[in-house]
Amino acid sequence: MGSRVYLLLTLAFYTVGAVHVVLQALLKRKLLSNALLTATLVGFALHTAGLSQRWTEAGRFPVAGVHDACSFLAWATVLGFLTTYLRTRVDALGLAVYPTAFLLVLVSNLTQPVQPDPALAGALFPVHAALAFIGYAALFVAWAMGIFYLVQERELKRRTPLSFYYLIPSLERCDTISGQAVLLGFGLLSLAITSGMALAHQSLGRYWLWDAKGITALVAWALYVILLVTRWRAGWGGRRQALLGIGAFTAVVLVFVIVATLGGSAAMAGAGAPRP
Amino acid sequence: MILVVGVSHRTAPLDVREALAFPHEHLPQALESLRKEAGLSEACILSTCNRVEIYGREAEPRAIEAVPQFLARYHGRPLEQLRPHLYVLEGEKAIRHVFRVAASLDSMVLGEPQILGQVKDAYEAAEHAGALGATLNALRNRSVSAAKRARSETGIGQNAVSVSYVAVELARKIFGELRGKNVLMVGAGKMSLLAAKHLVTSGARATVLGGRTFAKAEELAAALGGTAAPFESLRDELGRADIVISSTGAPHTVIHREDVEQARKVRGGRPLFLIDIAVPRDVDADVAKMDGVFLYDLDDLKAVAEANLRERQKEAAAAESLVEGEIREFLAWQKSLDVVPLLVELRKKAEEIRKAELDKVRGRLGSLSPEQQQAVEAATSAIVNKLLHPPTVQIKELSKNGYSAETAGLVRRLFGL
Repeated sequence: MGSRVYLLLTLAFYTVGAVHVVLQALLKRKLLSNALLTATLVGFALHTAGLSQRWTEAGRFPVAGVHDACSFLAWATVLGFLTTYLRTRVDALGLAVYPTAFLLVLVSNLTQPVQPDPALAGALFPVHAALAFIGYAALFVAWAMGIFYLVQERELKRRTPLSFYYLIPSLERCDTISGQAVLLGFGLLSLAITSGMALAHQSLGRYWLWDAKGITALVAWALYVILLVTRWRAGWGGRRQALLGIGAFTAVVLVFVIVATLGGSAAMAGAGAPRP
Repeated sequence: MILVVGVSHRTAPLDVREALAFPHEHLPQALESLRKEAGLSEACILSTCNRVEIYGREAEPRAIEAVPQFLARYHGRPLEQLRPHLYVLEGEKAIRHVFRVAASLDSMVLGEPQILGQVKDAYEAAEHAGALGATLNALRNRSVSAAKRARSETGIGQNAVSVSYVAVELARKIFGELRGKNVLMVGAGKMSLLAAKHLVTSGARATVLGGRTFAKAEELAAALGGTAAPFESLRDELGRADIVISSTGAPHTVIHREDVEQARKVRGGRPLFLIDIAVPRDVDADVAKMDGVFLYDLDDLKAVAEANLRERQKEAAAAESLVEGEIREFLAWQKSLDVVPLLVELRKKAEEIRKAELDKVRGRLGSLSPEQQQAVEAATSAIVNKLLHPPTVQIKELSKNGYSAETAGLVRRLFGL
């Protein structure tokens, strides 16, 4: 099977997931069922097989261009979700993850792959890209949990429980998971930056590129440093941390999108992290 | 046939239910006289504050009259007085009732969790008293598992519907795990004590602020396994507390905005959950506007309880249809245990054998006169009938007391059915 067939099958599974969680949320029912989780795992396995197939077809690690970047980002997001869910059993996260994964895989299905830049060869590149993408997936989880925190806080303040009160976990859970995800995402982002610098030095002889990605990475990195330091001092993240987490990730995504539309074929290979 | 006779919150006022209640320690003896007097081969008595019900398996047709009479006689009440409150259900209706009660679909508070435990206890008491046979045991297993499914697969048991539990649930929505959280009690009413007890059971630590009567605070603190502190230390304690339950009888505000602001300086952004159960209210309503402070008064808690109950009611239809499916299965299973089809089958098989063997020897017998023909028929039929008579009687007898699927299987194997 070609990688596109895999991608289409993956889309089918993620569509089922997205429709299911949205419907369940509207009906105020339990978001996830064992059947849905099984379907997600099958979809994820197909997605993984598809990525590996695409790697073989392209001859290089495929993260260049909208087609590959969206696909890989969706993969990382679902990975982040499955890991978080298995650890915490917070199913509300599905409400953010399934539609996102669906959209990303849909975009990937609708776009044509581009041939990766030969400069992206080398053993370090897949590691660098994977670190960056999984790091962003972790920061996405933090972003979603931050939003849940704000929504749950509003529900509790309003004193009349509406549907979200029942769906979303406790403030403490949102706060803790968001904090841990930021920590993990930040760690991975730092490693991605470091490996990116090594890559840049290897192929261009420079450690840092002052392009949009380099600047974004630095801004994102700085924002998350502030976030982590204030959190570490306060113990409880609370509303301000939730807002900071949401703001930081939104900024990263905005630049990601801008770079993707302005930049060339390799622009999305590791947006936020410098790359030759 | 399964029989249900009883009164519940739907049919009888509290004093009638009280008058008919069976104390747990009287159950063995009550079950024994019930079975003897009312002609039940199996019996179980469910006695809670909301219902008194007798589940039985009728051994004699008189049971349907005898069980109400037993209830009246046992409790020394004239039957005519009880009659308007009693319901008597038989067969499918009785089975449906038993299933719905266990699943808490017939409860005063829909989906309340106690009933299932009470039902289990009732069956256990009946089992100990030797009053349970195959039929009620099967009813017990099926209805309890249906109730568990209804609880786990639908939302009828979700979300607290009593004020004190709502307080605990809200605390969980804020703090997640309650272990190690500090509960501060300011004043003590019945409801606040109940809420504090639930919180302490979940692992929270209690501190009780004393007013003029410090001894009372100490007593309360001891009951909650916590400590007492003088009222003057309110601000310090507010700094430490995660959950505050206030229920003083004071006619004025007890916890002011300044108190909470002061406390927030040492709290490091941790949320503060204030439960104001007092009427008139103890906590300055302005406090609710502060970041990270959640204030609920009695009306708020009641509103949440009502919203939760509405959520449960929405789930009731799903639970009803799930339980209905289980009832259908139980009925089908019960039908498979019916002895009549088994006996019909047995007789049919014997008749086929007789006919086949007769056909085989007909040729060798030559032509028979109608009288001879009749005699052969009569003789062979008599052999079959006489051979089948004892097993038929025994199977019918077995079916009266605890005839099980295994027995049916054994009969089928013995006769090659």
